[in-house]
Amino acid sequence: MSAVSTEPAVDPQAERKWRRGGLLALAILLPLTLAETSYDSVREWLHGEDLIARDVEFGQSVPFGGSGWKLADLRGGKAGRLPDHAFAVIATFTVTIGDPDLRKQWLGCKLMLTDAAGRRWLPDFISGVSLPEGAMNCAQAIFSGARKGDVITVGDTFIVPEDAVKTIRPAVGLGSERPWYLRFQRPPK
Amino acid sequence: MRIRVLGNLAVLCATVALSYGMQVTKPHYADLTAPIPIDGAMNDTVRARSFAVRLDKVIFARQLKASQFGQEKLLTTSGLWVVATTSLTATGASTAVADGTWQGPTGLRYHQTERLGYRQDMPPHGVDPGLDKRGLFVFEVPSDQIRGARLLIAARQFGPLDAQARISLDALPTGADGQPSDILPEFDLDAAPGQTSQGQTPQGKT
Amino acid sequence: MFKTARSKIQTWITAGAGTIAALFVAGVMGAFGALPAHGPPQLPPDAVIDAGRWRLQPVRAYVSHAGVHGVPLKPGQKALVLEVDMTNRTAQSDKGYFNVFTPDGIVLPDSSPMIVLTRDSTMTPELHPGMTERMAYVWPLAGDNAVPANLAFGVTAEIFKPRDNLHGTPGWYNPYRLGTVTLPVTDLPATGQPAIGQPGSGS
Repeated sequence: MSAVSTEPAVDPQAERKWRRGGLLALAILLPLTLAETSYDSVREWLHGEDLIARDVEFGQSVPFGGSGWKLADLRGGKAGRLPDHAFAVIATFTVTIGDPDLRKQWLGCKLMLTDAAGRRWLPDFISGVSLPEGAMNCAQAIFSGARKGDVITVGDTFIVPEDAVKTIRPAVGLGSERPWYLRFQRPPK
Repeated sequence: MRIRVLGNLAVLCATVALSYGMQVTKPHYADLTAPIPIDGAMNDTVRARSFAVRLDKVIFARQLKASQFGQEKLLTTSGLWVVATTSLTATGASTAVADGTWQGPTGLRYHQTERLGYRQDMPPHGVDPGLDKRGLFVFEVPSDQIRGARLLIAARQFGPLDAQARISLDALPTGADGQPSDILPEFDLDAAPGQTSQGQTPQGKT
Repeated sequence: MFKTARSKIQTWITAGAGTIAALFVAGVMGAFGALPAHGPPQLPPDAVIDAGRWRLQPVRAYVSHAGVHGVPLKPGQKALVLEVDMTNRTAQSDKGYFNVFTPDGIVLPDSSPMIVLTRDSTMTPELHPGMTERMAYVWPLAGDNAVPANLAFGVTAEIFKPRDNLHGTPGWYNPYRLGTVTLPVTDLPATGQPAIGQPGSGS
């Protein structure tokens, strides 16, 4: 009965201001939260995919994953045991080792062939076809104990359908460089 | 006063009913993240996300002969052996197709057999774009699970939200009792291509 | 004055009701918990046991002094073998049978048995819905380990949850001791394989 509110009356103007501020903060905070929670997944995904090509002219050596990569040779033909309408392709690269910690730099090393349509081929074992003398595949190179300044030949064998052989280009992806990968121009005929 | 209490009660009941309704009709998490089926028929090319598959042939047999570590093995079963011959190819990039399931007419799922060990023509099948590859999927199923069955092929066994080819097997000839009309007493896996279908091994048109 | 007292009582009742209900429920649960616990029941050895995912029919138990069903033994070892007809009761192929049987009162060097399909000695294959297969549980034992003539095997079952609490996925959880099944254990001498229960004999 005799109770009198000791609190000052709330100014409606100030309340409206607060409310507006809150809404505005929400508009900023929500996207920020989304970005924060998805950051790790997005980063992991980017580091696992060869998404952005870096084109390399034939004969050019490009630093990639701490070493210099140059396309040495790309050759294809009918050899070994192959399905119909298929070609065996051997791609080799000359690599000048810069950072010798290949286990870290070359983690998830992937040699690929890509064609004009964007299709990709990973290495295949072909009975009767082997790499040229002295060449090794990616996994072998990682554990080869190559030192700084060494020049090694890295390559692999692929099975490619007839219709893609004309436009294939070799490519290299390394764990330390993803999402970027190297795509080499074919050697001139 | 009375009306307000009744009103509040009504609102409460409505809320409870709505919440309960939402709870019971909520899709199962396992369904939400299930593989996405892509339907097709036998001898059709079914295009999944990372691979395409065509079911060429289904053979039923009472016993299966296979060589394992250089030893000839005769595998028996309480049901039937099903040997599904498929033609596989990758769509965009070289990949592997590893999972086959025989889904019976009532939805029972018979996963590919684990009794054959590693073989070249058994999953996982490494596939390349533009190249057809013959791949086998072998199942053990009771004979009443054949009519109305479907073959499910996926890249991986647990592939949430990935594509799964679902091939209906209505074209398989079955007798009045639901049994397949042609059951071999014994099928030799190692003689498979030569014995039955060599020379007409399907190759993709390029 | 009267009004404030009434509202006070109302507040007390509202706040207290929950507490009283909680106390009551806890008391009742405590009373149930204090009841003498039932031991897992004895299961008849010649009947079919429904144990969650599996329908089980124990066939026989024996001690083998040589390798059985393709399971090799180290020198000086013997093996306790339990042969059982197992049927997958679920809708999909499954191999979650590793903890279904445990021999009671025996010191095992390795508590996880080797499980073999007796048909062709395949180690731990998936079993398919509704297809009964004879499986052999093989526990290697030290050669001087005494095995009683009648051995109790504990049978563990699980319950099916359409949605589990963590991911909301369906599956088999909460293993519990369904009961024990007691079987006579015969001692097979080292010469050759057991004559009965060979692959192909079926059931």
